[in-house]
This record gives sequence, structure tokens and C-alpha cells, in this order.
Amino acid sequence: MDDSNDFGIWLGRQLRRQGMSQAELAQRLDVTRAAVSAWVTGRAVPRLEKIRTIEEILGLMTGSVMTLDEVPDSAGNVVWYHRPAHRDGGRELGNAAAFAFDSDLRVLAREATQNSLDERWDKSREVRVRYTLHEISGERLYRFLDALHWNDLEAHYEAAADRSTKVGRIIANGLQELREKSSLLLLRIDDYNAYGLDGPEYGDGRFAAVVRRQLDSLKSSTAGGSYGLGKATIWAASRLGLVLINSTLAEPHEGRAARRVIGRLDLPWRQVGDDAYAGPSWLGEPDAERGGTACSWWADTETVQSLELTRKSDAPGTSFLIVGAHDGSGEATTLEEMHAALVKGLAESFWASMVSAEKTKPMLEASVVALRDGQVIRPEERVNPDKYEPARSRALRAFYEGSTVDELTSADAVVKTTVRLGLPTLRERPAGGEAQPAEHDAILLLTPTDGEDDAPNKIVCMRSSRMTVMTRTVSDVPMGAPRFQAVLLAGVATGSSASDAYAAEAFLRAAEPPEHNDWKKTDDLTALYARGAVARINDFRTAMLQEARRLVRSSERKSDDGPAALRDLLSLDPPPIQRIPGFPTVRQVEGVIRGDGAWQVRVEIRLPEREDPWVMVPVLRFLTRSGPKPRAQWAEIVPESGCELVDGELLKFTSGGKTAVFTGVSDVTSHPVTAQMALAEVDLMSTKETAS
Amino acid sequence: MKTLFPYRTLFGEISLEVKEARLDGKLLPLTMISVMERVVALHQIERDDWERARVVFRMRTPEELMKPDEWADVACAAVLAEKKTNLRIVTPLKRQPDGSWIGVIELHRDWHLGQAEVEGLVTATVDGVAGRVIARTERHWTVDLQVHTPTRKKTVKTLWADFASDDNPYLNPYRMDPWAIEAAGDEPIVYLNSGFEGLQFILESNTRADRAVQDTLAGQIATDCWTALFNTATYAIDVEDDQPQWPGGWHESVLRRMLPDVFPNHSPDDALSEIFERRSAGEGGGELQTQILHAAIKQARTSKSLGTFIRTLRTIAKEEM
Repeated sequence: MDDSNDFGIWLGRQLRRQGMSQAELAQRLDVTRAAVSAWVTGRAVPRLEKIRTIEEILGLMTGSVMTLDEVPDSAGNVVWYHRPAHRDGGRELGNAAAFAFDSDLRVLAREATQNSLDERWDKSREVRVRYTLHEISGERLYRFLDALHWNDLEAHYEAAADRSTKVGRIIANGLQELREKSSLLLLRIDDYNAYGLDGPEYGDGRFAAVVRRQLDSLKSSTAGGSYGLGKATIWAASRLGLVLINSTLAEPHEGRAARRVIGRLDLPWRQVGDDAYAGPSWLGEPDAERGGTACSWWADTETVQSLELTRKSDAPGTSFLIVGAHDGSGEATTLEEMHAALVKGLAESFWASMVSAEKTKPMLEASVVALRDGQVIRPEERVNPDKYEPARSRALRAFYEGSTVDELTSADAVVKTTVRLGLPTLRERPAGGEAQPAEHDAILLLTPTDGEDDAPNKIVCMRSSRMTVMTRTVSDVPMGAPRFQAVLLAGVATGSSASDAYAAEAFLRAAEPPEHNDWKKTDDLTALYARGAVARINDFRTAMLQEARRLVRSSERKSDDGPAALRDLLSLDPPPIQRIPGFPTVRQVEGVIRGDGAWQVRVEIRLPEREDPWVMVPVLRFLTRSGPKPRAQWAEIVPESGCELVDGELLKFTSGGKTAVFTGVSDVTSHPVTAQMALAEVDLMSTKETAS
Repeated sequence: MKTLFPYRTLFGEISLEVKEARLDGKLLPLTMISVMERVVALHQIERDDWERARVVFRMRTPEELMKPDEWADVACAAVLAEKKTNLRIVTPLKRQPDGSWIGVIELHRDWHLGQAEVEGLVTATVDGVAGRVIARTERHWTVDLQVHTPTRKKTVKTLWADFASDDNPYLNPYRMDPWAIEAAGDEPIVYLNSGFEGLQFILESNTRADRAVQDTLAGQIATDCWTALFNTATYAIDVEDDQPQWPGGWHESVLRRMLPDVFPNHSPDDALSEIFERRSAGEGGGELQTQILHAAIKQARTSKSLGTFIRTLRTIAKEEM
């Protein structure tokens, strides 16, 4: 025994187990009380003969002190301690913290699991959370009630079951159910690979924060919780206000780690016999040093078994057993419904913590099982994020694996973009005095979702805890845009460890109400940050929606070609040549240049049939490479067939005719160049209506 | 053939083909050259900074050309001409041992605007006149600097744009409109308002159910487009020596497509004169507008799509009864 501290802790615990105060031991050892106190606090170690006497007094074998053996644990040592009512007559008719939340199973799953995530011990591995719904009856129920010292509690319940108050009604219903059905529903929440409730009985530490205190949260800056309200939901989920706790510590306390057990009961003010009680009661070993207050004890396996608190493995973590569990919303009443509600709640809030890149561990693994007297009713279901949140899970996985793209191209593509969050200045500069980052780029992931999805076009927002803080509907999505799901990762969740990520984390946490289900104006926000903080949050909220809209809009731009339906109607190609044109055309021209330099031509004409005779002007033009083609005049025109000459220059074609022929000779004086020097053509022009 | 030749010309046909093309010495992929369409597409997205293109042409001529005592001083050339820039480059082709003629046309990027036409010519001395064209290729080749697929198919460009966006200030005045038509400049553009609720959805939907609405809507847009383009094109008609001239470019394409419907009994040239006269006579009213709308509706095939749409509607109405 080289460590005086170990001895002191051990001695203190043995005294508690015996229900013996330090003063009493001092008296029996004939030493001063200060000396005992010095031993217990580890400032000094008793001499050897005193140690022998101590062993005797405590009823231990000689040498027990050297090996720090325990005084035999008898459940008889365990008692209920009820906090007396205030002397000033003040009465609490319930735990105010419990009223801050809806007490339904979804909220419970959310808050409890969040605590487990925050308390993850080995960060390289997932924290495992198991929900066990267990309805017990018969012998199993009696054994449980015995271990619970139910007989000592009944009077308190009777007194507290006052149907005129909210809490009282719930208790009354719980009692009634227990008596009528002779069965009790237990909901156990175990986490593995978590710190467990370590730390001293009353001082600062995880144990006291959970068991002893209200509104105390012992959490790091990136945790999901910040008010310590979450644990109230655990008690609120019990109709009897009763929760038993069994914790395996990651860091030993008093040299022990396994089966640190305590029960806590939250009852409103009540009068039992002549005494009035108020507030919490504890099931544990009486602490003589604190006037009989019950404190946690290191239970043996048998006790733990009868209290239905046996843990599945030695992995550190805590089990909360909610006695008389119910769904406060009243929706889930049967075991099966509650099982479903828990699975759904876990999937909804924690799918992101359960997603991981290939070949890596997620942060969380959660499962739900339902039993009746030890028989499986609903086999253990491990919550599978891909089953409940396929699109969002795909988005997050793509982000982890770095397989995101810049533009929506396929049905399972995940687009990644950023949303800017302006960071306001703190009212008080942090001690370090370093400059605050002014902005943080949150990451927005967006992916198409399938037709099965009945709630598409949502953005779920989260920070480092990967818990869904809020879900926002993207309104005004362009009609016909792909249905999508989006995930917004802010703060440390972006994978960044730069100072802006931590600043954003702190800022957003301050913007969360106790339920952690929104980013908005809170008292914390206005207390911690300079003016403009609320505007920054609102800008951020707007920006994420705009960015999502932009992504689904830009994804529609396929090409410059525009819609195919329109493309076909806007062709600029030359029109197809009509086999039979709707106007008279020159079919063939033959010509020779006469000796006097004039063109002598014979022209065949094709005519579309019509009643109304065509009247056309034959034209002779000299060809140029570009620009207008100079016209030459006719010296004479001679109709050959199917036409007649009108006004000396017009050809009037026979009504209903199909072909016509005429010959002509050009007027040499009108030639722009000599005929040999240029190609020429003959064409038909319509007469001007005005001329006729 | 309404053309008169005042001298003897080559009887057989000549053909012109592109052997290869290079941008700054790098061979152009053959996918950029279409023999069917006779187009060389020089616009490559990956290489936007080329300066010189060299296109190798090969001409094949009928045997009669080289028969002794048939033709004198035969020469072959490829002539590149671009209407817009009025640029014309004649490149002599050299006779090869196999009887074909080969030459390289060089294009400098900053000499051209968009499309250049290349035709093959054969010249000879006829009747003592040197360099007379005795044959030319029937079909031109087009060297297009602005397309990256070798196709002649030209359509009016349609672009999705958010009319309300700050990026498109010129569209802001029309922010409430579903579409806008820009008929100015080198290229007409139909802007479709992506900010207009549902427009993109309907126009790009692939479901049969939306088909009828889609076609009707497309028809409506196209009708507006053709009407606007036609009216713009009529103002592009110039007159030289009292003769209206085809304006070239898209204006000409629009006129050539629509004039036969505006003036169904007129030859294209006549129709061109007619529309020009009506315009300059200030006769933009009544009857002509009716004809223009008729031609636009025909271009947009509105009658068919609208008919289908109405039938669909009535079917739905019956089902709901």
C-alpha cells in the first residue's frame, strides 16, 4: 500500500458501506476526528496497529487493508433517501426542466443518444447505443420491485399521486397501471464506449452533473448539449419519475470501474407521515458524513441483475433504466409501437452519425430491441441510415469519400457547394486576445432523391455532433427541378479544424434553443455576441435556401441547344426545293450569241396549273460574282406556245397550261458588257400589280 | 438551268474534297470534317487560341480536261470567299501524279468572322480569252470558325437565362415575360426565362403527358420568333441599282424560309422585291401582317400542335366527367 490516497478513498468507502461516520470511527479507535479525516482525504496514513483495529471494526480479514478488500456488500445497506422539504415552506410540484421538452420517445431518443455521442470515449471507434424495451411481470417483476425497495417507496407515491397536478396525474396513472396489469415497462438505454459516470459523488464530474444537478452540463465546446436539460427527458419518460443508473467507468474512481449504481427518483412535494419531502430522492448507500444522504455504490452482479441493470459487456458506458416508461405524446402505446417510434426517432436524428466512408467506423451505432419477460418480441434492429435516409446518407458518404461533383449530372450524384456564415464579434474578447475569424464557409451537399421520398426538397443542418439541428424546406424550387435532399454541415462538421470552424461551432451552439432544434435568436446569442449576431443567423438561413435553389436550377442547363421541342421549329436551313413550285419557273434556256453580239434565246417555262392566267415579265440578266445582276432589254419576244405577248413585254400564259415556250433576242445596246464576256440568265418576274 | 454560257464549258463534273485540316500545325480530328455535309468545323473548345488553319483540298476533274487539243492553259483553283468580310482568296491547286489536284488554303483567324465558302474552279483559255471558268463545283464547302460540329444545320439559338438576374441586365425589363427574342446583330437569340415558373419544366419534360402542352408552347414561342425575325429581316434588304438584294446571313435564311408562305405565288426573287416594296411604301399594315403571321404559324407548325393539345384537353375533360 504505497499510495495514501488509495487508502483514504478505500477507507471512506468502507465507512459509508457500514453506515459509520468518521467521528464514530475516531471514537472507537481513540483518535481525534481530524486524524480520521486526514486518513480519508489521503493526507496521512494510520500506523500499522491502527490498521489492524480498523480491519476489526469493519469486520474484515487481517490484511484486507493491504489488498484494499471490500466490506461485503449487502443490499441491506442500500436505502432510499428523500430530500426533506424546504424549511421555508416552498414547494416544487415537479421538475421544471422536464417541462422544457415534449416527453415523447423521439425526443428521449434524441437527447439520450446525444449525451452518449458527446461522451464517446475512444474516438477512433463508434459509441454503441442500445435501447431495450422490456415489459416485466410475475416473479421477475416482484424480484425487481424487491431490489428496488418498492415497499419504502409506496407511501411516497401514494402521497405524490395527486391528480390535481400535472406530475401527480402521471404518477397516479403509472401506479394504477402497475397495479391493474401487474406489469411494468422498463426502457433501458445503454451506451458502450462512453466515459461513464466518473468523478466524485458530490463534486464536479460527470456523475454529479447527471445524478445530482439540474441544468448543469459538463460538455466540451463541440458537444450537442449545452444546458444539461437533456437528462430531464430521461426522467420525464418515466411515469414514476424513477430512473436507475449503472455505469462502467472508463477512468476508475476510488480504484473501481464496474457497476457504479444509483437510483434517482423525481417526485413533487409530498407529505408522508409527519414529514414533508420535496425534490429528488436517491437510492444508494447512506452517507453518514452527509446526514444519511444516499450515494452511489459498487454493486455486485446479483443486485445488478435483479435491478435489470446487467450490462452486455465490460466496455465503459452507462445504463439508464427508465422505470414505468411511456410515450408522453400518447402515440405509441404498445411495445411494438414504441419500438418503431424509437427506431424512427433514432434514424431521424442520428442517421448522419451512423454514416461513414467505406472501411471506416461511424461515430454511432444504435439499435432497439423489445422484450417481454426476457422473450424477444421485436428482434434487435440496428438502425440503418441507408434504409431510413437513403439520399441524405448517400450525400454524406460521398462527402466523406470525396466523390462529390460540382454539377448535378446523374440520379445519384452528390453536389457540393458552400454557404457563407458571417461570424459576429464576441462581446468579450477571449482571454487569448487573438482576432476572431469573420466568416466561415459551411458545406452544402445536395443529391436527387427518388419518387418514394414523401418529404423531398429539405435541407437538414448539423454541426460537429452530426445531429440534425433543423430541417428546412426549400420553397420556390423551380417547377420540374429534380426532387432532392440536402445536408448542410457547419463548423467542425465541415472537416475543417481551422479557427473559423470552432468559432462557427460556438456561434451556432449559442443560437440553439435548449432542444437544439433550430438556429435562431436566443438569449445566449444576444448575451455572448455583439449586435448583428441575429442578422448573421438570418442571412445564413436565407443563403442556404438560395444556394440549394441555385444548384437545382443550374443542374437543368443541359446545353446551349435549348429545348428539343423548340429546336425543330427554329431551323434556318434553306427550305426544301419544291418539286412543283407555286410560281412559273424557267425550266431550260438555250442560247447563242448572234453575229451582232445579241443573245438569241429559246426559253421553256413550267407553270403551276391555275384558272387565273399567269402574267410574267421575262428578264435577261448578266451574271456578276456579287451584287446586283445588270439587266439587259429585249429587242423582241416571240411567244412560241402556251403564251401570248401583252403590252409588248409581258407574257400572259394560257389559263390552266403547264408549259410554255418563247424565244427572244436581246437589245445589244442595253448589254452591260459584251455578251461573250459574261454568263447570262433568263428569269421570270411577276408584274407589279400597281402597273396593271 | 437558266444560265447561258457564251463560250464552251467542261461537260463533266468536278469534285472537291477536304483531305485534312490543321490548326497551328495540329491535325484536326476527322470528326470535325464532314464529307456528307461538306463542312469543316474549326471551333474547338479545347483549342481556342489558334491563329492559322490550313485546309488541304483535293479536286478531281473529268478526263476530258487533260485530253490533248481539248483545253488550253488548264488551271484549277480553290476559291475561298466570305460574304461578311468580302474576303476572297484564290489558291492554285497542283496537279498530282494520280491526276487529282491538291492545294492548301490558309485561314488566318483574325481575317474571318464566321463562315467561309470554298468552291473549286477550273479555268482555261477559251476563244483566245485566258482564265475563263469552264467548270465549278456544284456544292460548296463551308469552313466554319464558330461551330464545333461539322453541320450545315442552322437553327435559331435558344438560351435559358434568368431574366431577373443581375448577370443579364439587358433582360431585366422583361423579367415577367416567359421569353424574349433578340433579333439584332449577327445572331438572333431566343431567350427563355428560366426564372419563369414552370417554363423550363414544360419545355424540357420527357413525359408523354406533358407532350401536348410542350409542343403547343414551343409552337407559340416559335411563332413569336419567326414573326420578329421576319420583320427584322425585311429591314435588312438593301437595294442596289433598284434591285432588292438578298441580305445574306440569317436574315436571308429567314426570308428564304418564309417568303414562299408570305407570297406563295411568287418566286423567291419576286417575293423579295414584293416585300421590299411593301415595306418602303409604308404598307406594313393589314393584309401583309396577316400573311406574315400565316407564314410564322406555318414555320412553327402551330396548327398541328395546337390541334393535338385541344384534343388532349377534351379527352381529359371527358375522363373527369
